[in-house]
Amino acid sequence: MQKSEMTAVRQTSPVGKAIGTVLINLVLWIFSLSCIFPLVWMFYSSFKEKRAFNADIVGLPKVWDPVNYVKILSNKDYHLWQSMWNSLRTTGISIILIVLLSFIVGYILARVRFKLNRPLYLMFLMGMLIPIHSLLVPIYVVFKDANLLDKWYTLLFPYVSFGLPMGIFLTEGYVKGIPVALEEAASIDGAGFSRSLWTIIFPLCRPILVTIAIIQIFGCWNEFSFALVLMNDVNLQTVPLALTQFKGQFASDYPKQMAAMLITMAPIVIMYFAFNGQIIKGMVAGAVKG
Amino acid sequence: MLDSIRPKKSTIYLYLLIPVALFIFTVFFPLVSALVYSFFEWKSGPNKIFNGIANYKQLFADQVFWASFGHNLYLVAACIIGQIGIAFILVLFANSRLAKCQTIHRTFGFFPSTISAVCIGMIWSMVYHNKYGILNWFIINVLGRPEWAKVWLNDTKNIMLYVSIPLIWQYIGYYMVIMFSAIAGIDKSIFESAEIDGATGFQTAVHITLPLIRNTLLVCLTLCIAGNMKAFDNIYTMTAGGPGYSSMVMAMYGYKVSFEQSNLGYGSTISVAIFVLSLAVIGGSQWLVKRATRRMEV
Repeated sequence: MQKSEMTAVRQTSPVGKAIGTVLINLVLWIFSLSCIFPLVWMFYSSFKEKRAFNADIVGLPKVWDPVNYVKILSNKDYHLWQSMWNSLRTTGISIILIVLLSFIVGYILARVRFKLNRPLYLMFLMGMLIPIHSLLVPIYVVFKDANLLDKWYTLLFPYVSFGLPMGIFLTEGYVKGIPVALEEAASIDGAGFSRSLWTIIFPLCRPILVTIAIIQIFGCWNEFSFALVLMNDVNLQTVPLALTQFKGQFASDYPKQMAAMLITMAPIVIMYFAFNGQIIKGMVAGAVKG
Repeated sequence: MLDSIRPKKSTIYLYLLIPVALFIFTVFFPLVSALVYSFFEWKSGPNKIFNGIANYKQLFADQVFWASFGHNLYLVAACIIGQIGIAFILVLFANSRLAKCQTIHRTFGFFPSTISAVCIGMIWSMVYHNKYGILNWFIINVLGRPEWAKVWLNDTKNIMLYVSIPLIWQYIGYYMVIMFSAIAGIDKSIFESAEIDGATGFQTAVHITLPLIRNTLLVCLTLCIAGNMKAFDNIYTMTAGGPGYSSMVMAMYGYKVSFEQSNLGYGSTISVAIFVLSLAVIGGSQWLVKRATRRMEV
């Protein structure tokens, strides 16, 4: 964040300026520490035993004991590894499909003249406006009739479909900014449609495709409601579902709940702190343009 | 448009087949089927009995549903004031020349919005817990007012406030970053000349920053409204709509009716209602905002 030349407090006097500095920074620090505090608190508390935690909920642990982690990860009944793997698989495949399909549809809608161009554009635009939570029950009914509940690929349907509209519009807008001359030159050189699509346009669209992937990674990993409705098999549960079960099982054992949450949050947290600049930029671009 | 290379029609349709079919199957097909089933009595067994508009009659008389809709509107209002309002003030602070460590504030502030709503809900259940919660610990040990401590999530009267605080908190940083990038796009000389002309920080904020990032604010407003009409995950984890129906929201009620009471016919009717009402609220607010801003320009 670069500093802008804006001042919230005028330079009236050195004292006024000092008070302003303290006040502004204090407010900002209170806010941003409140955002990070839960993570820190959960981290050190997860190394406490239940009894130690209940006796003192904010203090640092006297003994750093990883017993909660060992118990959670070694007990197969909790399905934590399984749910991590399920989430990873669902998220990974969804992202690949969303990026590829958005790219194809976005490119075609931006560049190719054909009869269904406008109708399809409008259809995906409507898809963006549809309140997806009104689909929660209907999608269950349809998937039940189609025998699509409780399959490892079940969640790919909603995740890819709900990710498509934004992906398509981001790509469409991006492709429109690429000069047509590029594809014309390629076609003069004898490249067919598919060839120029994948070898010329695809690499050019990389920045926007990365943005789409970033937005969707968080969306898919964190998605809860459709997983709740469509997946009943404990062996196929994704991470958020497994966590709600933990909450039930360990209602009064907070350190265990915290350890479970931290394990499942770890991939996201590590990714976030490693690439936060690009992640924030991507999410904002998606929100504003989408 | 591309005219020099005209791809074969069959190639285009082949490429479009999978995404379009997938989209229609998972989005439009369920919507239509919900509309159909909303006219049936169907208790999740094999028997579906056509019962005309009986479900809709029930819906209009269903006080729980309308209370849930009211709670969605409450969340929308609370989050517009809380998220966008607080974010705007914090952005002004962060933008000031006196602010330090802006990158850290951005990284920390944005962090909660990347965490799943389930985790946020679980964390805040811990914060609110009467015995082992941070909030009561703070009230008793720091403020020294044990009489203020209570079982927060059992307070039927104020429950909506308590469940909206985590929601607000989670996304302040998100809106901050969006607004910050909008302000960064404003020509710096405007602020400089305002300063030379002797505008106070408050005047600059209201008369310069606010109008110049109006479009971004409208985007935030739309995101905020759409996001809160679909509130579900937080509520499910924290209160499941309770105690009683005091924190019920539309999606949660639809879920309860369909899966806990196994009433898929009426559940479909509620889904149709969620669809119509959400679109109406989002569309209506857009229309209002457009009208209001047009008047401002004239």
